[in-house]
Amino acid sequence: MRAAEHSQAMHFQARAGEKVRNPVLQRALQKAKPLFVGKRAKGIAALAEDGLAFEPLRAACEEIRNRVLADLDVWLAIFEERAKATGAEVLWARDGDEICDLVIDVARRHGVTKAAKSKSMLSEEAHLNEALAAAGIRPVETDLGEYIVQLAGETPSHIIAPAVHKTIDEVEALFAQEHGRPPEPRTSADIPAMTREARQVLRQHFLSAEMGITGANFLIAETGTASLVTNEGNGRMVTTLPKVHVVITGIEKIVPTLEDFATLMRLLPRSATGQTISNYVSLLTGTKRPGEYDGPEKTVFILVDNGRAALLGSAYQDMLRCIRCGACMNHCPVYFSLGGHAYGWVYPGPMGSVLTPLYTGIENALDLPHASTGCNQCGSVCPVRIPLPKLMHRLREEQVERGLRPWSESFGLKAWAWLAGKPKLYRWFARRASRYLNWLADDSGRIRVFGLAPGWTAGRDLAAPQGKTFHELYAARKRA
Amino acid sequence: MTARDEILGRVRAGVGKEDFAARRAAAEAYMAARRRGPQPVIGGELATRFRAKAESLSSTVEAVAEAGEVPAAVARHLQQHGLPSSGVVTSDVAAFDWASSGLQLSPRPAVDSDLLGISGCFCAVAETGTLMLLSGPETPASVSLLPETHIALVEVSRIVATMEDAFALLRSERGSLPRAVNFISGPSRTGDIEQTIVLGAHGPCRVHLILIGA
Repeated sequence: MRAAEHSQAMHFQARAGEKVRNPVLQRALQKAKPLFVGKRAKGIAALAEDGLAFEPLRAACEEIRNRVLADLDVWLAIFEERAKATGAEVLWARDGDEICDLVIDVARRHGVTKAAKSKSMLSEEAHLNEALAAAGIRPVETDLGEYIVQLAGETPSHIIAPAVHKTIDEVEALFAQEHGRPPEPRTSADIPAMTREARQVLRQHFLSAEMGITGANFLIAETGTASLVTNEGNGRMVTTLPKVHVVITGIEKIVPTLEDFATLMRLLPRSATGQTISNYVSLLTGTKRPGEYDGPEKTVFILVDNGRAALLGSAYQDMLRCIRCGACMNHCPVYFSLGGHAYGWVYPGPMGSVLTPLYTGIENALDLPHASTGCNQCGSVCPVRIPLPKLMHRLREEQVERGLRPWSESFGLKAWAWLAGKPKLYRWFARRASRYLNWLADDSGRIRVFGLAPGWTAGRDLAAPQGKTFHELYAARKRA
Repeated sequence: MTARDEILGRVRAGVGKEDFAARRAAAEAYMAARRRGPQPVIGGELATRFRAKAESLSSTVEAVAEAGEVPAAVARHLQQHGLPSSGVVTSDVAAFDWASSGLQLSPRPAVDSDLLGISGCFCAVAETGTLMLLSGPETPASVSLLPETHIALVEVSRIVATMEDAFALLRSERGSLPRAVNFISGPSRTGDIEQTIVLGAHGPCRVHLILIGA
């Protein structure tokens, strides 16, 4: 199963139109955006209380991630050795299919019938839930947002707030159906009661699942450790109660030392939710020790490539620094106009607009690098300084180089280049065009419907040129 | 070719460097140096800072002068809030005279029906108001996880400034990492329904800290 087969990214324009016209989704998004932006801003501003500042801290975070990528072969070898020394098994997966095969094999070896999952975006890359279900193993998402999304038969629309697109009424309908009770009218005052209901249902799954599946926010090379950062405590549950723990993570997620981890932890929660620290930060090393009551008897790491290694040494290597905080999408005007599902694959927002073409094929996600206003809000909040707009721009260039743009666009650009190379003709043309547009305008100087490209004026008016061209004005001023 | 060899081959090609041994030695040296990033300046008393941060993360905090006062303080807190007085305790703090304050605590891992869990902590971090708990035979992780109420005992002398200081203490006292290091900062929470924060997602709904020696 190639990643591209599951990607809907080629339908971006159609889906975007649909999302813009969905009032329920738009209400959910408009409610969420100021919260995300405001919380992060507050969290970052609070660094000053301790004499810290965002720029030096993100430079340190960038350096840590670059250090690992520059010698990733070495760091992987160190991590593998040390993880094995703690008693964990280390497996490798080239792609999503191999992830599924490995997890199912581990499950069968240990008689697993139910797997409780903490959030893992890599399991979304692999479509692991479908594969587990087909193999007779029940996957239960336990992050509240992921649980809601799983009940709805959907995919997450945000990497840290998977159900951000769902309103309380939609959640109530799903809970009523799954929990076998009639739906009730709900207001935000009922959210604690709804959360409690989900807690009781999911608690039973934590206690009965034989396998816990998680991702890892980081792998710590020094100690062979997986780190998990959660607020709900589900990450702790699935790594404490089930007898088997499977960690599925990308090969790029390594950090060298505990000190480096501490540095990154000063920016990860702040960038994601504005918290100075998440409620639970767990470092998991090896298996249950002699005399210990809880913890897994078996710990398996699945280190995944699925397109990552190919970015090393390429023009896109910077993208591998990503620590999956979600700040780029939280600050993206395009993301908050459309929600995450419009992007058509696992990762939405600016990081998705870079990763989706790189992991599923540039030719399979032609619109995504263009789904940007170029405002660079994503680049300016990124805690590891990934130049997201620059990477999207590079992807656009690659589309041109590989002849993947529509003929009308290439023809138009060629025509413009030819014209721009002939100054006299260009000026003559510009004069005519300016007069023509001015003639098209109504009394207020605006063009309501532009017949040559009606799409441009579908949602707004085009301000018409007010008379002379720049060259004419320049020449007149020089004479004066 | 195995997946491992193929992936590592691609990684080596992408990294594009020879001299694996020299680079490996450099990586070992980097790890041994334990270099810290930009460090916060934590002014004032660590205990004061710890308390303020913990309270801002929705924990409740009570300070007692000495360890002998702990059982009575815990019993009082539970009574005031109408909370059950029986549950589980980690072995490292089981020796307190809990029974004389009317508390029935079993030194064992927690099960689903336990409503109260009392634990110590390895140390605490002032910067973020965070507890650092280590798993082990004496200190099962379930005690701070399954019950709705978690009460943790924190000796003021065990409060360090930063997470880096906590790691340094762990290395010097234990040498290596236990199966699980859990940094806990207040009750479990979620914001997954319409971004409304609710305390008590999957873990404890309330966390109460007793500062000893303040």
